[in-house]
Amino acid sequence: MKIEILGTGCPKCKKLNELVGEAINELGASAEIIKVTDINKIIDYGVMVTPALVIDGNVKVAGKIPSKQEITDWIKEKK
Amino acid sequence: MLLEILIGGLIALKEYVALHVVTCLIPAFLLAGGIIAFTSRDTILKYLGAKAKNIISFPLAAISSIFIAVCSCTVIPVSAGIYRKGGAIAPAFILLWVAPASNILAVIYTGNIIGYNMAVARIITAFVTAFVMGTVMYLSFRKEEADRMVEGEEGGNNDKKIIAGKDIILLLLILFSLLSPNYLITKGPYLYKVYVFAISISITFLYACLTIKKDRIFNWLKETWWFVKLIFPLLLMGVFIVGVIGKILPQQWIEHWLGGNSLRSSFLATLIGAVSYFATMTEAPFVDTLMKLGMGKGPALALLLSGPGMSLPNMLAIIKVFGFKKASVYIVTMVILATISGWFWGNYIF
Repeated sequence: MKIEILGTGCPKCKKLNELVGEAINELGASAEIIKVTDINKIIDYGVMVTPALVIDGNVKVAGKIPSKQEITDWIKEKK
Repeated sequence: MLLEILIGGLIALKEYVALHVVTCLIPAFLLAGGIIAFTSRDTILKYLGAKAKNIISFPLAAISSIFIAVCSCTVIPVSAGIYRKGGAIAPAFILLWVAPASNILAVIYTGNIIGYNMAVARIITAFVTAFVMGTVMYLSFRKEEADRMVEGEEGGNNDKKIIAGKDIILLLLILFSLLSPNYLITKGPYLYKVYVFAISISITFLYACLTIKKDRIFNWLKETWWFVKLIFPLLLMGVFIVGVIGKILPQQWIEHWLGGNSLRSSFLATLIGAVSYFATMTEAPFVDTLMKLGMGKGPALALLLSGPGMSLPNMLAIIKVFGFKKASVYIVTMVILATISGWFWGNYIF
């Protein structure tokens, strides 16, 4: 599974990064986490408001921090 | 000497922050958090990204700027997104210019520290110059845009509302609790303001609890807390530095270079604002300090306009996203607009 975190390094992006890490650890899932910080690449995903979370190419959330429960559910779906 | 400078910084902290925390900063943060939590920025951006006519998209971009970003750091990706997703070039640059210059936290803080006429001037000028900015960008890159727009996508249907009716009432109530202590009570001890604030904020929260679901209220408070965590430390630091600078800078120097309302003063003030980085809101105490040392009102406005929206790191980011040519036209136009605005208000209105 490929998880991408889109954000230019704002505090909210860091928080999202943390939550994703925690969720993966708790589930014991194997995933590749990539931080995308290039604005041009972020826009290519159709995302304008950061932070955003992309799982296997699908934008799951943009503009706000999802709860850890939501992140866990998305990862489970994919598993 | 050093001790004196440090004390200057601490006094500034006490003056600017302590007196404003309850009746200005808390409601301002609540309002900013509410705007983020209750408005659908996606929907606003979709409208802006659509191929709208200039008559519609110009004012739309200017007004929605208020709701989209609170500091200059978040506006660049948003504006770049609108541009890349097929939106015209003008709304993207209007947003880039207006959002930081007239963002709600900074304008409210400006009103409280420097006076409401300066806050009003700041908003009016930001909006008027936004139209000039949009027109300049549109005319300069008309040909390029015509080719690019073919690939742009349709704005499509919007089924989501920008904001729900009862949320608007809540935002208005917060706005009321922000304004009422400072404008209803203009005389008497500070404590009176606190009383008025306590009453109006209680009404606000009562309304919120009665009409809005718990998890949405929680979300609102969470967004508010983010702003506090993000901006408050920067504000404290900024105000301290401003206090120190106020002690170090010689008054004569300021009076000479930034005093009066000449074009040169406005131009220099614009440049100071354009080059240096101001965390959101810190430009207000900075300008206030410079005004006490002899800066004219016109140059003060110029600095308030160019300060938050532009800085060296910001320029680099804009160049990277929009390319050198568009960025240069934008930056030069911005400097000219801010300079002329400062000069105009200073000589004819203030």
